[in-house]
Amino acid sequence: MAKTTKSRTAPARVNEPISIEPDIKVAPGTMLLKLTGINKSFPGVKALKDVSLEVVAGEVHALIGENGAGKSTLMAVASGALVAEEGTIEIGGETLTPGSPREARRLGLAIVRQDPALLPDLTVAENMAIGAGLTSKGGLKRAPEWAQAHLNPWQMGIDSRARVSDLSVEQRFVVEIAKALALKPRILVLDEPTEHLNKEEVQRLFRIVRTITGGSAAVVYISHRIPEVKEISDRITVLRDGAVRGTFKASEVSESQIIELVIGRALDTVFPPKGKSIQSGADDKLVVSNLSGRGFHDISFSVKPGEVIGIAGVQGNGQAEVIRALAGVEAATGSVTISGKKLRLGSNSAAARAGAVYVPSDRHGEGVFMPLTVGENIVMKTLRAVSTLGIVRDSWVNKVAAAQIDRQSIKTPSTRTPISSLSGGNQQKVVLARTLLSEPEVLLAEEPTQGVDAGARVDIYQIVRGAADNGAAVVILSSDGVELEGLCDRVFIMSRGTIIAELEGKKVTEAEITRAELTSTTERKRNDELRSRSTRFRNWMRGDSSPAAVLGIVVLLIAGLVGATNGAYFSPFSLNSILFTASMFILIGAAQHVVVLGSGFDLSVGPLLSFLVVIASFFVIDGGNIFIGIGLMIVAALAVGFVNGYLTTKFNLNPVVVTLAIALALQGTLFTMRTVPGGIITPAVTDLIFAKIGFFPVITIVAIVIALLLEWGLRRSRFGVELRAVGSRIEAAERQGIKVKKVQLISYVVTAFLVMPTAVILMSQIGIGDGRPGLSFTLTSVTVVVLAGASIFGGRGSFIGIIAAGILVAQILSVPTFLGLSGAWGYWLPGFITVGAAILYAQLRRLRRK
Amino acid sequence: MFAKTRTNAESASAMKMESIWRRVLGGGQAPIWIATVVLFAVSPLVAPGSLKASALLSMLPFAAVLAIAAVGQMLVIQQRGLDLSVPGMMAFGAGLVTGLSQWYGWPVWASIAGAIILPAIAGLISGIIVTRFGVMPLVVTLGMNAILLGTVFALSNGTPAGAPQEIADFTKGSVGIVPNALIIAVVVIVVGGFIAQRSIVGRKLTAVGVSERAASAVGFRVTLYQTMAYALAGAAFGIAAILYAGYVTTPPLFYGDKYLLPTITAVVLGGTALTGGRAALISTGVAALFLTQLGQLLRAVGWQESFQLIAQAVVLLIVILARAIVPMVSSSIKARREATESQTVRA
Repeated sequence: MAKTTKSRTAPARVNEPISIEPDIKVAPGTMLLKLTGINKSFPGVKALKDVSLEVVAGEVHALIGENGAGKSTLMAVASGALVAEEGTIEIGGETLTPGSPREARRLGLAIVRQDPALLPDLTVAENMAIGAGLTSKGGLKRAPEWAQAHLNPWQMGIDSRARVSDLSVEQRFVVEIAKALALKPRILVLDEPTEHLNKEEVQRLFRIVRTITGGSAAVVYISHRIPEVKEISDRITVLRDGAVRGTFKASEVSESQIIELVIGRALDTVFPPKGKSIQSGADDKLVVSNLSGRGFHDISFSVKPGEVIGIAGVQGNGQAEVIRALAGVEAATGSVTISGKKLRLGSNSAAARAGAVYVPSDRHGEGVFMPLTVGENIVMKTLRAVSTLGIVRDSWVNKVAAAQIDRQSIKTPSTRTPISSLSGGNQQKVVLARTLLSEPEVLLAEEPTQGVDAGARVDIYQIVRGAADNGAAVVILSSDGVELEGLCDRVFIMSRGTIIAELEGKKVTEAEITRAELTSTTERKRNDELRSRSTRFRNWMRGDSSPAAVLGIVVLLIAGLVGATNGAYFSPFSLNSILFTASMFILIGAAQHVVVLGSGFDLSVGPLLSFLVVIASFFVIDGGNIFIGIGLMIVAALAVGFVNGYLTTKFNLNPVVVTLAIALALQGTLFTMRTVPGGIITPAVTDLIFAKIGFFPVITIVAIVIALLLEWGLRRSRFGVELRAVGSRIEAAERQGIKVKKVQLISYVVTAFLVMPTAVILMSQIGIGDGRPGLSFTLTSVTVVVLAGASIFGGRGSFIGIIAAGILVAQILSVPTFLGLSGAWGYWLPGFITVGAAILYAQLRRLRRK
Repeated sequence: MFAKTRTNAESASAMKMESIWRRVLGGGQAPIWIATVVLFAVSPLVAPGSLKASALLSMLPFAAVLAIAAVGQMLVIQQRGLDLSVPGMMAFGAGLVTGLSQWYGWPVWASIAGAIILPAIAGLISGIIVTRFGVMPLVVTLGMNAILLGTVFALSNGTPAGAPQEIADFTKGSVGIVPNALIIAVVVIVVGGFIAQRSIVGRKLTAVGVSERAASAVGFRVTLYQTMAYALAGAAFGIAAILYAGYVTTPPLFYGDKYLLPTITAVVLGGTALTGGRAALISTGVAALFLTQLGQLLRAVGWQESFQLIAQAVVLLIVILARAIVPMVSSSIKARREATESQTVRA
């Protein structure tokens, strides 16, 4: 498949087989994982009820059940990611302290989640090294080779030096598996591993599973797909509604017996009568043809007024994406027609105007406006109806809301109650009331009864059917087969991004739906174009260092242009002065870059710089004690950095506001210390700083060396990798066991410390204790960081880029002098480059993602 | 059984007490009103004469300027942004209203219109870059700040101009004893407050600020409203700048620097969360009054300008710390009480 890249990216000798078998050898049948009496609840739901499970060496133990049956929750408890209220976990005979993922990993449990915990801005090798705890003692240097050896057996063409964000979904998943296997686990948990893989890759996975279970390890295999489960597993445990329904030998149960156990529930809810008002002769209200987008393709169907359509399928097969595309919240191609009018795709407001109303499944994040009241939430979609001349009438709001509260039997003390204090079911009814008020043409509901109690469910079914009876076309996405059976006139089953079956009339039963879902063997359509066609140049362009080269070219171009207009530009004096200024910009940019890498921000670097200069002007003078002065400067820098970091990380405060406040406090302090400039810096120091080789300032060489050392630390040291991990994806870094707050705190201290050398240079340049010149360095530091191409959201960027950007900014700021431009350019140039570069890089990144 | 009822009664009263102090310290709009009343009450004790009419009348125009600028900042913070271009915007507005008439001979009404509309356009540009191009608000407004300062420099050629006589007379004038500047501020805040709280546009702005995703699911044009917030903020900064220019007659070119932190502090003090959402316009205005009076008081007891900066920074840090700590403490108290309650029940 991807043989072309394999030979180039992998050195020959790492093609030798690598060991993925556990170091501790045990006989088959030895108990490896023992869960006893696990109870776990989430607000409103009991997720696990007294669950016990035993997994022994040498077996593949399948865990099956419907969505929400508790499989993934159980494994999250076993791996220490979640803490159960009751129950014990034993791994390899040792009891696990609840909620300690690191300990679980040490005891030999590795988990591969559906949603890989990878850090997108780091390379594959760095991700694997963090996962395996190999970030110290030169481990990072050897990581690419070591990681490549683990990836090669998969033949997916993954280069261990590539950035994870450049990989396809299935490649990422393989990295996640390889990362788990590299730990040589005694128990490997695979959560829905085949969702992202094609047939050939599934067989490769099965071969690996059989290899490791041939020895001293066990595999826990979570899946919906019963044919695959039958093929690979030795024993099967069925979970339903959070409880174990039995453990069986795979060879002793049939596919249909398993399905029965998985469902095992009678229709016990009251549903409104179906389809009494489908206008069979009427024109289709909603026509979808050849709709394709991220996660789904070639979807075509039509819905009549009064009809309720269900979309079923195992979670993550593109159902949600289809609904969201219809609502215009996500982009798509193809055509959608509502009541005969063609809809502009990818625009939520166009969809809303056409009468398509979307009820999202993420009620907290997308459904309700949490801090607002019940009344405000109810009328949000129909503000026009409760206002005159654009002014909302509160009395009308209350009247309309009260009527809806009454009609949909929403339990709330008043219309002015914050919606956050209502139960999940009542919040959902508010969302539906809002939806119905707008008299939808098309109702798109995603999991409308998720997390809703039984009583509210019945009400919601009535509301949904009522909308259809009023002539709407209704599309419901649900993972509850009972609900689909009871509510829908027709059901489409989706698998791997496309519709694989349609059930109609009497065939709309839970058993049929589940059968279609579970026996599907479709393969995910691959867009082969998207696979990594990595060339050396392409990889380099995608890397962190490419901006440095581009900036270097820009520097030469500007030099040529300005030099052609004014010959004095190339004089040793002017080159020296530009490079001298550049040394400060490199260092202050590097300082800002450290904190930005970890998703922080520091507006206090400029004032801190001034503050340090002013401190120096009292000690680093003729007759003063230079050492005390330097010592005080270091202490002050570290203290400021610590305060910044402590306040932002300890109390979760906005870094911009904290560092801005600190910046102004520093300004106040320094202007109190030196109301007017004073204190001549001793030539003993300034002469040292002004030393040069030819026209090249020594201090610029020092600044470049410092930046290179920082770059080395960023790539090779544990802190560097952890800092980038935190900036890249904070929750994934947390899941990997990185102490996020500590890393961020240290980054603020390092930033402040790096202001110190800049202060020494600046004080030599101005020669006197003056607080003003330093203040503008905050903007300069941001300009340098943005120009260097660092993501301002953290995680990526290089100090090489900082060197180039520092020189470029120094050069640009010198341009007005040489071209005789007005002082305004001193402001315009940094302003325009900062904004321009930020826009440019944001666009490049967007293009790259496509 | 008996034991349990008693615990409930106790915890109910404890809960009530706690919710009161949590409301006072943890957020909302009540604290700033209380703090302002207290500040004015103690003012005569700290600095005799600080409540005299003359002292108040010299303070109120500055409070008005800050209040209007803070409303602009609040619009951006409501959309979970932060506008660091306040210094540039204020300088730009003042540069326009003074420079356009003095150097370019514009009529007074035109230079007033220009000083409102051009900053609004600058805000619009910032908004478009933030929403359409996906650049962090911080970087955009920081860059925009520099661009505006450069423009002010170019416009004035480095020399501050004087405000047209009409504007200076108006801002220094008063209706009865109420300064005109204050009237403008009250009008801006009342009209702004009315639009924010009562109009469809205001409701939609709030909705987008509360939850971009929910607003998008409902079908609102999220980017349009976010962009609008930046443009309106620009207009507010322009109005504030006109008042300032009128009152001080010849504003220094870069006087705007001292307004950056106070606008943010006023918004936070007023009860608008930095995480966006419901805007508290009126209390933002009250917070501006509080901050200006505090500054006046500190000046009266002999603190110099640089001390004032420290005081402002400390006030801001204390407020955001209180907002962060109080909910933390109160939820841990709640958890502890629930734990003891369940123990009592078991016992």
